[in-house]
Formats: sequence, structure tokens, C-alpha cells
Amino acid sequence: MNKTAIRIMVFAISLLFNNVAFSQNISTIRFETLQQRITSNPDTVYVVNFFASWCAPCIQEIPDFLKYAEDNKNEKVRVIFVSLDFKKNMYESLLPLIQKLNINQTVYLLDEPDANQWIDKIDNTWSGVIPATLILHKSSDYRKFIPAPLTYSLLKKFTK
Amino acid sequence: MKRTIFKIQSGLIMVIFGFTLINFTILEHDNVKDFKLKNVDGSYVSLSDYPDAKGFIIVFTCNHCPFAKLYPARLNELNLKYKKLGIPLLAISSTDTIAYEEDTYVKMVEKSKNESFNFPYLYDGQQTVAKNFKAQKTPHAYVIWKEKGQWTIKYQGAIDDNGAEPEKVENNYIALAIDQLLNNKEVKRKETKSIGCQIRFRK
Repeated sequence: MNKTAIRIMVFAISLLFNNVAFSQNISTIRFETLQQRITSNPDTVYVVNFFASWCAPCIQEIPDFLKYAEDNKNEKVRVIFVSLDFKKNMYESLLPLIQKLNINQTVYLLDEPDANQWIDKIDNTWSGVIPATLILHKSSDYRKFIPAPLTYSLLKKFTK
Repeated sequence: MKRTIFKIQSGLIMVIFGFTLINFTILEHDNVKDFKLKNVDGSYVSLSDYPDAKGFIIVFTCNHCPFAKLYPARLNELNLKYKKLGIPLLAISSTDTIAYEEDTYVKMVEKSKNESFNFPYLYDGQQTVAKNFKAQKTPHAYVIWKEKGQWTIKYQGAIDDNGAEPEKVENNYIALAIDQLLNNKEVKRKETKSIGCQIRFRK
């Protein structure tokens, strides 16, 4: 094998690893920034799912959200997962879950200790029970909040 | 049970799973029924067992929920401080024990021992007390007060404003509410919100 071939191989492998690292990227986010992100593009449908790695019904519905994201990857649709895990558990609980379920969409860990500061801004009827999902489409003034588990077909229905 | 309920319909109604309507209710001066539940020491506990109580701190909690797990030490502190002032703390577990094996009565007894609970830890196996309080999650805390012989909800929601980092708590919501009630003042913050584990009601 010549040097060029080795270089190409090393490059290809590094790309592969880069890609893996990228797809499992998580970062913390403050509520204000999250709010900006989910309203930044008025033409985009934002599906914002609130979950935690300790919440069994949340984990159950994630594959449906991933399928929905995959089926709409050519549309102006963005699925964003917002984890309400404790910050100290980011690497020991949340990251392994992201890897296990192969979550290839954006995952933020919400860095807000007091739910009172932000829950009402998502929806003032929300008690704080998860899973909960917010669907937003600014340009058509569409806003739907569902404080209950969702399925693929319900997601499709609510985002029509 | 006498209660004033404002059913807020339009705007809050959501159509979920076909045509199921969910009415959100805002409680106002809500009264709660007394109950009789089995404690971890084998005895049965009712509100009427405390004839001298001015009020109670009622906390719906459980063994399995990571949010509930953050609070036992703080519940001990609350009971230590307020029981002698006539406001004892009662913890109630109303979780569906079929879904969560960690929440069975036997495991409750263990937990109470291991974490040296200084308050009763009551088993609401039929989930009737949680329904009566409209408790939605664990932990979900209440302050109830005796008014004209009735138990009235004066505060409900979070225990304080920082579950994960107790040293960073700025508002002890329960303590604030009780201190206002003890001074014959109106509770300023009657309801707060927090993340928690849903209490799943068996059908």
C-alpha cells in the first residue's frame, strides 16, 4: 500500500468518527436561547419534545419522533429534543440513551433549575408532567401543545 | 365535598386521541376529604388523628422517581421545623405499583428506614387520595389549612425552586406559604410548577 492510500484511509476513518461524534452531540441551553432557536425560521415546523432519560413513557415515544424526522428530512421540519435531565447526569445518563436510541436530531439539555421560570412560557396549562411536545409553525400562526405521549400517526396529524 | 371549580373550556380544550376532551380545572378554595391510609409502621393515619393540627404539608412522592429522590432530607427538615408548630408533614405514595415495582409497600417500608424518614409515609394503593387532591406528579406538594372545620388547599406545587442543587434554593415555596398562614396572611404564591414523574392512574 502506498502512502497516498494510507492517507486516504486515515482521512476516511477520521470522517467516520467525526460523523459519529457529531450525531451524538449534546449541549446545554438556557430557556431564552431555546425560545429563539424554535422561532428563528418562521417557515419551519418545529417539533419540540420535552423528555428525560429517567422518564419511561418519554423513551418509548422517541423512535416515533425519529421516524417522523427521517420521513420529513426533505421538508422544512425540525425535530428538537429538550432533555430535562439533571445537568450532572448529562454524560452518565443522557448521552448513553442518545447513543442507544441513535438519536440523530438536535438534543439540548435545558439548563434551568426552576421550572417556574419557563414552564408557563411554553404553555400555561402545563403542570410539568413529561413527555410533552410543542409544535410550532410561525408563518401560519400554528401552535399546538400536547402534554401527553405521542405516536407517529398523531405527530403526522398534528403537523399537517 | 364542596368545591368551587371553574372549568375553563374554550382555548384550553385539547383534542387528544380523537375526541377526548380534557378540561383543565383551576381550584379555588378547594376543600379536601380526610382519608385513612396505611403507614410504613403498619398503623393507619388520618387527618383526624391530629386534632390540634393547624394544617398539614402533604407531599405526593414515591420511591422510583429521580425528582422525588432529591427531597427526603428536605422533607425531614420541613417536618422537624413545622410539626412542633402544628403543621405536620405526611408523605403519600400513589404510584401505580404494577407499573413500578420499586414503589410497593414493602419497598416503601425499606426506603423510610434507610433514609430515616421522620414523617409518616403512607400507601395510597387505590390512588383515591391522589385523585381527591388532583395530584399529577411526584413530588407534588400541598399545604392544607383548617378553616371552619374544613381542610382547604392553600398552596400546591413544588417544594422549592431547585431540586437538583439544594444549596442553590432561593424560594422554599412550602415554608413561605406556611409562614404566611401562621401570620394570618394570604398565601402570595398559591401555585408553582415543577418537573416530575407523572402519577399514572389505573383505569
